[in-house]
Amino acid sequence: MSDALLEVGRLNAGYGEMAVLRDVSIAIRPAEIVALVGSNGAGKTTLLRALSRLIPSRGELRFAGRSLAGAAADEVFGLGLVQVPEGRQLFDRMSVAENLRMGAYQRRDKAAIEADLERVYALFPAVADRRRQLAGSLSGGEQQMCAMARALMARPRLLMVDEMSLGLAPVIVDALLETMSQIRAQGVTVLLVEQDVHAALSVADRGYVLETGEIVRAGTARELERDPEVQRAYLGAADPVPAMPAGRAHGAP
Amino acid sequence: MRAGNPARSAARWIALAAVVALLAALPWCGNAVLVQFGISALLLATLAQGWNIIGGYAGYPSFGNSVFYGLGAYGVAIAMAQYQLPFWVGMLLALGLGVAFAGLLGLAVLRLRGHYFAICTLGLALVMTAIVSNLPLAGGNIGLVLPLLGNAALFYELALGLLVLATLTVFWLARSRFGLGLIAIRENEEGAAVMGVNTTLYKVLAFMLSAAFTALAGGIYAYYITYIDPAGVFDLALNVKMIIMAVFGGPGSVLGPVLGAFILSVISEILATKVTSVASMFFGIVIVVAVVFMPRGISHLVAHVRQAGWRYFVDNVRAHRL
Repeated sequence: MSDALLEVGRLNAGYGEMAVLRDVSIAIRPAEIVALVGSNGAGKTTLLRALSRLIPSRGELRFAGRSLAGAAADEVFGLGLVQVPEGRQLFDRMSVAENLRMGAYQRRDKAAIEADLERVYALFPAVADRRRQLAGSLSGGEQQMCAMARALMARPRLLMVDEMSLGLAPVIVDALLETMSQIRAQGVTVLLVEQDVHAALSVADRGYVLETGEIVRAGTARELERDPEVQRAYLGAADPVPAMPAGRAHGAP
Repeated sequence: MRAGNPARSAARWIALAAVVALLAALPWCGNAVLVQFGISALLLATLAQGWNIIGGYAGYPSFGNSVFYGLGAYGVAIAMAQYQLPFWVGMLLALGLGVAFAGLLGLAVLRLRGHYFAICTLGLALVMTAIVSNLPLAGGNIGLVLPLLGNAALFYELALGLLVLATLTVFWLARSRFGLGLIAIRENEEGAAVMGVNTTLYKVLAFMLSAAFTALAGGIYAYYITYIDPAGVFDLALNVKMIIMAVFGGPGSVLGPVLGAFILSVISEILATKVTSVASMFFGIVIVVAVVFMPRGISHLVAHVRQAGWRYFVDNVRAHRL
């Protein structure tokens, strides 16, 4: 897998004494959309924080042929490994335009930043309409678009989107997934971290299933969608053997 | 100051330069009481401006700035009283002590946020008083006596110079990439971190910059007042004063804290001589009124009250859900 943009080998991470990720290995090739799915508490956000070097980790971590061991979070960002964090983390009391400019925080190429602003506004017309409004006053869907637009302003090579669908209406999730394909068409590789397995696999090329800190399944999106285990646990398919006590399978919509 | 109109901004610069020139000429009017008051007001304005960097821009409400002030005062006092070194060497020591302490302290406590950071720095100010009281080099709890210079005008000009330097630094900060990073940290630290701001480095640098001006102000104060003791210079009440002045004037603005310090110094001076009973309550009343009616300070008020009118105050009260 030497052609991979991101290579993660036997990565271990956690908070203090508590281990969350155990020997996680994944690889992402350029211009792929990869889905990382799993239920609440599986360690998805922890993995993203470890990849961004916001928390320390052990194991192999290579991005664009460079080892990230010992790199600081702002260096990793500078290399083009950019995340759209869970909960969006916008600057609520700044305008939408100011938020987008914060995405270009590390860049000094003024003319290119202006051009990218227009490109990003074209990608998210709803965000463009509200460029002078405070980010905190936007609706949930607009905030998610604003957060993605802000991340794109950093000119990412790998965009990692955490829980994009959380709290959003299905029709907005569909629109965002459509945009995701356009972003990939512009040459940006995407790692989609989702609880909404069905949504994530609908646009992804490949996927990984994370369960209690370990990768338990890997394959193409089609393979995972057809996998009976994945269907039973995440896609709400009827249990073939009705041995499970009632209530267990009701969790999934 | 953000006005794009170059003629207007030039006019503002000229007006500001005129104000500074007028202030600089004040000692020659010959009123000794006025010069004394001026020194105290200028030093307080410098402290408010110093606090503005960490409290107003980075959003970390520091109660540790009185420690930097005390360290600055002791830096000058130890150099001059214990080693008979010149004043400027003392100022270098003051700067070194304040900045080094801020760096070490910052690495430890700047990972705490909001109230936790405030309480932790509050505790440190008390600890420092106890430590310095037991240091023979610092004269224990008796304090140190510095040589008497008796040139109030010189101290006045020094304090004015330091305030101008601090304000120019904040002016630069407000327009720099560094300052933008601090504002991002204040607005959403997690968001700043994922947008490539080195939050730890920036917070510690802001704390050190804040400490530099605060310690230098303490150094000037020590030589001016000629006698310092631990309880006098590691004074939490002084820290509260700088916060009130900065918040009243407008935290996170360039001129707000200076304006706040001047206005409050004048009012509290008048009250202290005319109505002593109200004077001790004064700062308490100011902080309550400021937080309820104009939480973003005088500078924001001046910029927005003209278009919003009384609605400005009503909206602020509503925002608090009082």
